[in-house]
Amino acid sequence: MYELQQIDKHFPGVHALKSIDFKIGRGEIVGLVGENGAGKSTLMKVIYGAYQPDGGTVSIDGTTVRFQNPRQAMDHGIGMVFQEQSLITNLTVAENIFLGFEQQFVRWGVIDWKALTAAARAQLAKVKLDIDPSIVTAQLSFAQRQLVELAKVLTLEERVDGDLVILLDEPTSVLAREEVELLFQLVRDLTSRASFIFVSHRMDEVLELSDRIYVMKDGEVVDVVAQADAQVETIQHKMVGRDIDKEYYREQKQQDYERTNPLVSFRNVSHAGSFQDISFDLHAGEVLCLVGTEGSGREAILRTVFGLDTPTSGTVQIKGETITHFNAQSGVARGIGYVPRERKVEGIVSGMSVYENMTISQMGNYATGGILKIGEERALARAWIEKLGIKTPNEHKDCAGLSGGNQQKVVLAKWRSGGSDIILLDHPTRGLDIGAKEDVYEMVRGMCADGVGIILVADTLEEAIGLSHSIIVLKDGQFQQRFEGMPGDKPTLFDLVHHMI
Amino acid sequence: MTLETLKPHFPWITLLVLVVLVGALNPSFFDPGALMLLMADIVPLFIMAMGMTFAIYIGGIDLSVQQLANVVTVVATVYLANFGIGVAVIAILIGFLFGAISGYVTTRLFVPSFVSTLAMGFVALSMAKWLSDQRALSMDATLRNDSFGWMFDTTAGFPNELIIALILLALAWFLQTRTTFGRSLKAVGAGELAAVASGLNVDKVKIIAFAISGAFAAIAGLMFSVKLSGGDANLANGFLLLAIVAVLVGGTPLTGGVGGVVNTAIGTLIVMVIRAAMVYLEVDATQQQMVFGIVLIAAIALTIDRSKLRGIVK
Repeated sequence: MYELQQIDKHFPGVHALKSIDFKIGRGEIVGLVGENGAGKSTLMKVIYGAYQPDGGTVSIDGTTVRFQNPRQAMDHGIGMVFQEQSLITNLTVAENIFLGFEQQFVRWGVIDWKALTAAARAQLAKVKLDIDPSIVTAQLSFAQRQLVELAKVLTLEERVDGDLVILLDEPTSVLAREEVELLFQLVRDLTSRASFIFVSHRMDEVLELSDRIYVMKDGEVVDVVAQADAQVETIQHKMVGRDIDKEYYREQKQQDYERTNPLVSFRNVSHAGSFQDISFDLHAGEVLCLVGTEGSGREAILRTVFGLDTPTSGTVQIKGETITHFNAQSGVARGIGYVPRERKVEGIVSGMSVYENMTISQMGNYATGGILKIGEERALARAWIEKLGIKTPNEHKDCAGLSGGNQQKVVLAKWRSGGSDIILLDHPTRGLDIGAKEDVYEMVRGMCADGVGIILVADTLEEAIGLSHSIIVLKDGQFQQRFEGMPGDKPTLFDLVHHMI
Repeated sequence: MTLETLKPHFPWITLLVLVVLVGALNPSFFDPGALMLLMADIVPLFIMAMGMTFAIYIGGIDLSVQQLANVVTVVATVYLANFGIGVAVIAILIGFLFGAISGYVTTRLFVPSFVSTLAMGFVALSMAKWLSDQRALSMDATLRNDSFGWMFDTTAGFPNELIIALILLALAWFLQTRTTFGRSLKAVGAGELAAVASGLNVDKVKIIAFAISGAFAAIAGLMFSVKLSGGDANLANGFLLLAIVAVLVGGTPLTGGVGGVVNTAIGTLIVMVIRAAMVYLEVDATQQQMVFGIVLIAAIALTIDRSKLRGIVK
């Protein structure tokens, strides 16, 4: 019924989708899996009309269609339930459900609120949510909002002739186990009304719910498996393209570290609203990984170490010195380097060249009396371009034009060339292709060998396990468990997940 | 050659086209002596616009410049007798201080710069009215000539005003391209969040940017005051719009991060040529601001970096 044929999509420097064939039948639930950066989200954006493909055709019941925007896709029955919820929290549930489509309730130029509320109630009944549609959305739990979001998409049923396709993007990531069960039951019941495309990181859930599963890797569909034949191991293998082995995370290069003179030391540190009573030590040559779900306090701890956040209680020591004034300038001065998750926004300055980006944190080293020694800056940049194999025509190139992996190398070069020996990595491999990821892993090992201490928030649990010497599991800002992770004695995925949720 | 790659060249192409058009309209436009006078005439505006460039370069704006110039004309006129040439130092300090306060209010109290500078502008205006008792004051001719007469002499056939402008431009250009402060300005303008995450003292950079804007506005006010040999609280009215136009048509967008003081020099010349054209076309003086208002909107619409706005304009 809904079909994509040989869809291609390019971005500057990236071939994001390579000749994708994809179809979904009436009442079918199709799973979509792949690593970060495999092209799942690009594919979804093509499906719901946020991106226009460069090549290939999209057809519904054999008729070719082309969507300029999500609204046009909606008019053809394609709806999206967003991972980051798209409800406006200060509107009522009913207002949210019909946001942008109030016209049908307008009588004499004003909205007939009674009719709108009644219609909203009917939509909520579809998702078996028994709440008053006139309450403000902010009062709902996350799970309830997710269902409202689904109810909102299901209004397409009345508006559109023909079949519905509903995309569910990571719908379970914030739900408890029972809530997930309820959602799945609901989705199964709703297959009489719509087809679903289900995207999730949780392999077991995808296997449980989907009739067929598309496996993506590097912008391609590498396999389509029916539920009956699906096995977690084989799918994972196809997603990564090889066995996730020791080689991948450079475990053979993982060395032990000195357990004296910690670089960073947290003692019962709390930050109101994000984490409580956290203690740990980071030593030279150690990779300490903070593991937890979104909002478990991982990022806030990184920001506190760097100096961007001020803790509300507890003692933070950097290289033996107790910190009283928290700001990023003194963090940098003490040798801390921060590689943020939002590489394009916080990592590099778009519009500045490679060499300008590399010296931005250490301009004092390349200036006398405030006057820059640009020749020396460029020499530094050339040396690090060479050292890290950064693919750029020259050091004058605008950083915005580099690929993600090369941008990340520029960010790392910035800190390493300035002599930082405490490096905070927040999702350093997010959105990178496999080769670039391996480069980052290689650099992590290299930095450890040079005596750098690293605090890592990893993109995947496998990455966390593979890279780290020590793992701290957090949940809702609370310390849960600590694991040692020397090669040969690493915790398993299950060990970690068990404490995370 | 796409539109995007052509964009940085728009300002000087615009200038060239306008010069050719105006020259065709009135060939006497090219007379070197007259042209030099025309340029000397626009120097105070240029200096003000050059300062404003720093505020816009970091993604802010400084709406106080015209009122700062106003208060400086009054201060210079009132205190010329007491301090002589030293009044220049006082003027620049006043501008710097007002700008720094605007910067402090913007960065530490989180008041957007268009409001903080607008408010500081009214503070300055009110000070000017209070100090001048709402009268138009004039400078004592001998005192003026003793202290500042040199500004309007010529050196080797060039008006000193133009030379002052060029020296300030060279200074500002050096500050912008060759110093750690200038590099920090660029980082703040092009990617403030990355600048924060790189440990730059972003607040300090912004405060200094507004302070420089204020100081340049004060220099502009001083020159204008000496030029007209007097001061009053409305003397520099009409400068603000033109200064913003000069910065934006020069190619420093409201979103910041690109452009700079050389662009503003080109932008000021564009303003000058448009003004000359309007004189030749006999556009009434009262109608000129209409033209510049429209030019301003066109310049913003053409230069603004939409990817930075994320679709939200309020």
